[in-house]
Amino acid sequence: MKKPTTGIFKFTSCDGCQLSMLNLEDDILRLTELTEIAYFREGEDNPLVGHLDLAVIEGSISTESQKKKITDIRERSRHLITIGACATAGGVQALRNWADFDAFKKIVYPKPDYIDALPASTPVSEHVHVDYELWGCPIDTLELSEVLTSFLIGKRPGIPAHSLCMECKGKGIACVLVSREEPCLGPVTRSGCGVLCPSLNRACYGCFGPMEGANIETLSGIFERFGYSADECRMMLDKMNTYAFRKERTEKS
Amino acid sequence: MEKKTLRIDYLSRVEGEAGVYAEISADRVKVELRVFEAPRFFESFLRGRSHQDIVDFTARICGICPVAYQMSAVHSIEKIFGIEIDGRIRQLRRLFYAAEWIESHSLHVYLLQGPDFYGAGSAWENRAYLPFAKRGLAFKKLGNSLMAMIGARPVHPVSARVGGFYKTPRKKHLTALLSELERAYEQSLSAISWAAGLPFNSALSGDSAAWDFEYISLRHPNEYPMNEGRVVSNKGLDESMDSFAGITKEYQTEYSNTLHSNIQRDGEKTSYLVGPLARINLNSGLLPSEIINAMKESGVAIPIKNVEMGIIARSVEIAYAFHEAIRIIKGYEEAGPDAACDFKTRSGTATWITEAPRGMLIHHYTLDDGGHVENCVIIPPTAQNAAHIERSLHNYLRRNAEKSLESLEKGCEKIIRSYDPCISCSVHLVKM
Repeated sequence: MKKPTTGIFKFTSCDGCQLSMLNLEDDILRLTELTEIAYFREGEDNPLVGHLDLAVIEGSISTESQKKKITDIRERSRHLITIGACATAGGVQALRNWADFDAFKKIVYPKPDYIDALPASTPVSEHVHVDYELWGCPIDTLELSEVLTSFLIGKRPGIPAHSLCMECKGKGIACVLVSREEPCLGPVTRSGCGVLCPSLNRACYGCFGPMEGANIETLSGIFERFGYSADECRMMLDKMNTYAFRKERTEKS
Repeated sequence: MEKKTLRIDYLSRVEGEAGVYAEISADRVKVELRVFEAPRFFESFLRGRSHQDIVDFTARICGICPVAYQMSAVHSIEKIFGIEIDGRIRQLRRLFYAAEWIESHSLHVYLLQGPDFYGAGSAWENRAYLPFAKRGLAFKKLGNSLMAMIGARPVHPVSARVGGFYKTPRKKHLTALLSELERAYEQSLSAISWAAGLPFNSALSGDSAAWDFEYISLRHPNEYPMNEGRVVSNKGLDESMDSFAGITKEYQTEYSNTLHSNIQRDGEKTSYLVGPLARINLNSGLLPSEIINAMKESGVAIPIKNVEMGIIARSVEIAYAFHEAIRIIKGYEEAGPDAACDFKTRSGTATWITEAPRGMLIHHYTLDDGGHVENCVIIPPTAQNAAHIERSLHNYLRRNAEKSLESLEKGCEKIIRSYDPCISCSVHLVKM
């Protein structure tokens, strides 16, 4: 049987999620036995030709040419999955979606007219159909491994969709929110990171994005009772997954 | 000779998105390193953010060297707040940084640049290369494990904070890595002679001996530079971090989202090189004798001025980072509950530079009384090297103009790759 083909593509991002692919280390060489990596610009010289069984997308859509590129990749691919907060939720660069974009450009570039960039950075799913979204800034390598093998062997990935809190309780970590009164986003954030921040006595800052049906208003109310202003509460959510948290919040209210 | 036009649309085996455009005729060469990686405007959205947000956000500039961003950030902020960090924290930060050097250099040496010397298009395409790919992946994995032990994960670690760490690792956990680190260190010593023996192509670097360029790095009186030091060069530059920031000038080109850097002295502008080659050339006297001996036995002579031989400098630094990791772990003292010192926020302005795997990473912040960002400037190593890369390509194309386009394209790709450019980093730059 012919091996299925995989392509790995970068859009607007830091490269960390593609790197997580290489951080599979022991598995990466086994992965090249399970699938033919037909396109991976960061790892190999092959040009993109023909069709793919699986397209793996890192990065958000933030320029006019990327809109064309993602449409082309979708048309070539049987399945398309996004990896990481940029591709899945627009990334930290989506903070510009809420700002005066011309002023933003001027801060960084002396000649802003040379810069090709859209006023908003958006998730891939706003542009093409996405078969599966893997959350995280960065993604977790074990979850990545689960998703890749699932698609290559044709099963649904077994990734839990519950909150970080559930996982944290399961590990028996003292609650950062209740016992230390710190603004922990655990109750509204997807699990998947392995409860990193609370295990370092630190409040979760939402790298893995909102869980479905997250009750953000109630949590913000608790933070306000701790003494944080509404503006400070908003900034806690406006990070790597700002677009998704704002969407979850407005769709709820 | 007819005019030739060279186009590389999308470079492979480099981090990020860039291409090359060049026009070559008998008497003139024009070359552009075209960075089309989309900009992300970090300096803009950092405004108004808290000091901890700086540490978490700037890490997101680069998935390969997040620790570098966190280190330049915490040091800048600590300088503004007037914080003196504990010696144990200082050592732990150095260990954290060494782990990142291992991870980043191993990626470049073994997975990105290495295949070029074996005529391979990737680390997994050619069976003869597999043992080297495996060695690289093993080194990288160990670097990642060490990063994760300190920062909870290797990409965008979460433990770093102003004044120290959220939590510091237990000595017994670090010690458990020692035997593996010692084995890797032995291998990394022999890898120096492997790197030194690679078939370097004199055509790619034929003129670098004649090209008397300037290279710049930090220098510390008693250790190989990572987090601290003065800014020095082979041309007599010797500046504090603040005064160096005053003589670098960034400029924008129409064809690139990366701003380029020059240093300006006495009205003259010069491109310069930062990174492992600059560091090793300016600081090799501070390397442990075992590593110096391994270099001598492999015939490595300092200074190295052929940029393609950056792979030797990276291999030496991998060995050094393993050596340093072992030394720090052996002398490690747990900080206990005092993982971070207490401090009060205050307003001010500061510049700090640390040695990212790819070279000096300059951060500059102005904070308000509450420690929120009023203004910031971030100059990554690749932006500093951009003008130098173009000079290098220019020299190469001028001297080899008669060669076929295909061969020139390959040559340009190899030259660029040998700089280990980090394009995602490079599109975040300074306000002029």
